Amino acid sequence: MTSKLKSSEKNGATIKSQALDSVWTRAFTSNSEWPDKEEFLDVIYWSRQALGIIIGLLWGLIPLKGFIALLLFVLVNAGLIYIYFTNFQSVDEEEYGGAWELTKEGFMTSFAGFLVGTFFMW
Amino acid sequence: MWADTLVILFISVCTALLGEGLTWLMVYRTEKYQKLKAEVERQSKRLEKRKEAHGDSLDKQHKKKIEREEEKLKNNNRDLSLVKMKSMFAIGFAFTALLSMFNSIFDGRVVARLPFLPISWIQGLSHRNLPGDDYTECSFIFLYILCTMSIRQNIQKMLGFAPSRTASKQSGSIFGPPPQQFK
Repeated sequence: MTSKLKSSEKNGATIKSQALDSVWTRAFTSNSEWPDKEEFLDVIYWSRQALGIIIGLLWGLIPLKGFIALLLFVLVNAGLIYIYFTNFQSVDEEEYGGAWELTKEGFMTSFAGFLVGTFFMW
Repeated sequence: MWADTLVILFISVCTALLGEGLTWLMVYRTEKYQKLKAEVERQSKRLEKRKEAHGDSLDKQHKKKIEREEEKLKNNNRDLSLVKMKSMFAIGFAFTALLSMFNSIFDGRVVARLPFLPISWIQGLSHRNLPGDDYTECSFIFLYILCTMSIRQNIQKMLGFAPSRTASKQSGSIFGPPPQQFK
């Protein structure tokens, strides 16, 4: 999955085509370029789904239960994603409609995945 | 109990795939749906760009243009929902029948144990048709709903059937008016 970034010079004579790394590589590389906002939102969405299941299995293994487990899930999930887009990728959150929009991206699905994950280990 | 959880997970994966397959057969592959979807996407993007450019301006002409485009988008979204609706009803009926069949198979069986005590208005669902007062015991229907919540949307996304973010943001949600996105 390689995406292309096309940049045309002002005189319009030449069109340069610069290949960007794959989404996978950029997702794991700090301060990557995200010319397509949808791509970055997809990265956030899928990492949140993976995180939901991993936290669910982990909480089940520890085991953590009760309201505190749910609260900790919300905090860890939102916190890790927040650190990812502010510190690791350093994106301008305003471009995506603010930190809240990024924080809630795929949250409910992730929460359902988390609960199913805990049921398996419980 | 573990085996039941796995079986229910498998059932929800299968029903999600079946649901998407049927929707593809009846809706997604039709020319009318594809045309309308492309139109909605195009209009949403255009409207978004227009709002970005003239969002704060008080120019009446621009405001009128934006309003006109919003109206068009609303009409197209309504047509898109209508195209979907008929097949959704058919699929809904089929799945209700399927669900009641699974419900009777798992009737009175504890399929999982919840790691928390659910709040009172969820207990009716999580402890449905289960004997006893241990509310950490989970019924089939609750686990099935949770599995479907997490699986269905992911499958839709993977197969590319989920509506684009731009279109869903422009059309708003039940939680309020569409926010100003991608400034």
